Amino acid sequence: MATAGPGTSVNIEGRALSLSNLDKNLYPETAGGFTKGQVIDYYVRIAPLMLPHLAGRACTMVRFPDGVNNKSFFAKNLPSHAPEWFDRVVRNDVSYGVINELAGLVWAGNMAAIELHIPMHREADGPGGDPVHSAYPDRVVFDLDPGPGTDIVQCAQVAQLIRELITPLGFTMTAKTSGSKGLQLYAIAPTPMEYGDVGGTNSFAKRVAEGLEAAHASLVVSRMTKELRPGKVLIDWSQNVPGKTTVAVYSLRAKTDPTVSTPVTWAEIDAAADGAPLRFTAADVLERVASYGDLFGPPWAAAE
Amino acid sequence: MILTTFLLGSTILTDMLLEAIRLAAGYDLAMARPIWTGTISFALLSVPVKLFTATRSKDISFNQLEKSTGKRIKQKRVSSETGEEVGSENIVKGYELSKDRYVIIEPEELDALAPTDAANEKTVQILDFIDGDQIDPIYYEKGYYIAPDKGGARPYSLLVQGMKATNKVAIAKMVMRQKEYIVAIRPKGDYLCMETMMFHDELVDTAEIDELANVTTELNEKELDMAKMLIETSASDFEPTKYRDEYRDKVLALIEAKAAGEVYELPKENKPAQVVDLMAALEASLAAAKAKKAS
Repeated sequence: MATAGPGTSVNIEGRALSLSNLDKNLYPETAGGFTKGQVIDYYVRIAPLMLPHLAGRACTMVRFPDGVNNKSFFAKNLPSHAPEWFDRVVRNDVSYGVINELAGLVWAGNMAAIELHIPMHREADGPGGDPVHSAYPDRVVFDLDPGPGTDIVQCAQVAQLIRELITPLGFTMTAKTSGSKGLQLYAIAPTPMEYGDVGGTNSFAKRVAEGLEAAHASLVVSRMTKELRPGKVLIDWSQNVPGKTTVAVYSLRAKTDPTVSTPVTWAEIDAAADGAPLRFTAADVLERVASYGDLFGPPWAAAE
Repeated sequence: MILTTFLLGSTILTDMLLEAIRLAAGYDLAMARPIWTGTISFALLSVPVKLFTATRSKDISFNQLEKSTGKRIKQKRVSSETGEEVGSENIVKGYELSKDRYVIIEPEELDALAPTDAANEKTVQILDFIDGDQIDPIYYEKGYYIAPDKGGARPYSLLVQGMKATNKVAIAKMVMRQKEYIVAIRPKGDYLCMETMMFHDELVDTAEIDELANVTTELNEKELDMAKMLIETSASDFEPTKYRDEYRDKVLALIEAKAAGEVYELPKENKPAQVVDLMAALEASLAAAKAKKAS
């Protein structure tokens, strides 16, 4: 007999958790539905690959307690009823959860935190330690967001432009789908960079966006102004600040279907630039990782 | 299909979920992960399987450092003509026909020929069943364990127990990481294991080794008896745990001892200067691209 009622108790690595409403359909529009149980099931299966990426990073959980079509909560503060063992870090009076272990991921899933968003840095002194965040992001992010009339094809073309521009400067790059419409490029600098507007990651990303906008005005836009965006891809450079987050690799997205922010190869991006589709659901991702392993692996997963 | 659970009713799902969580509770992040999934096919039998590597090398690797500064050594690819660095976009594959004569092969040309998992539908295709002792161990390359994947339990057992009962080993072909392999699959206890094998034309012909010609010296019976006696007094059973890589043990001990005192720490970079360099490099690249476009 299944015991899907309130308070299904599980023990995960010694952490007692009570899971509830596992049968609740959080994706009413996807064929066959996708329940909270399935969300947790996905996160449990992807955990061995996903946890190293979440570890040490203050996590913003986007909760959809009544499914993706209903009200969501952008939860930065870890609620007071969160388990005592949950790692947290206090910054600007906000007590963020840090998902360092499987039980934390399952707890988040049980809170219907479908989407997990993280910043570009790990906490300098580990969770619960010094509240001062690390001044050193370990990556630069370019969030490629297609404007009206464009899609993943143009995003992939812009990804190629960024790669051509900054790989020769010594950056190591990798990419993932946003799980929504766009693509996200991550670049590790050849030498450590700071956050900041003078010579930091934010100004670097901004100059890349502006430079490519100047050279490819029909394809690229670097400003968020709505009127500028039709027919173009926005290179959103603005997520390279300590207080901003980007959806975590392998996170589910609250879209029509349970799509995932999925690491992709450059060969796949090149194919997407020529029109091949680039969209993956939870089931696709679990199949991909069985064959490819973690495309977002070291140095991307490497801890400080 | 890994996630059949996605399609099942919620009652079963919940059980599967709890099972997954129970399994995951024992998760170790270093837990072995399959390196390949696919199907063993033979006649009407098809067995969904996962492959795991059976061995892992424990060789110790070192980084190269510049003695005076302790900085990492970087390798550059330079032109044999000018000595200048060559960018990856300017490097092609050439096959040497004879000295200084090459044919250039484009990556796309190789891709078109490469065996793909898709073309072979991720299949380990059994070609023959043979007696295992007919295989010269010199053919063996690397060992793998084969585990049943979802829905494969019964056909997997059929294969294991059938091969045990007939005392046969399967020879099969498969594609892994864009390379074609001939493999031997044999039962080992309750499960199957697999060895990738060298192709016959990859074996060195002993005729190429002069020193192996005429190695037989006639012995008299007494000499042979003595050799047999010497060997038999040292005869025992094979206990693999008895043998250790003693050199590796000593190197590890050395590293440990030195790490306690003499760690060679990389000097911290001068960050501001480097940051400025990256910005300057970016500006230079943007300017170069602009100039190129204008010309």
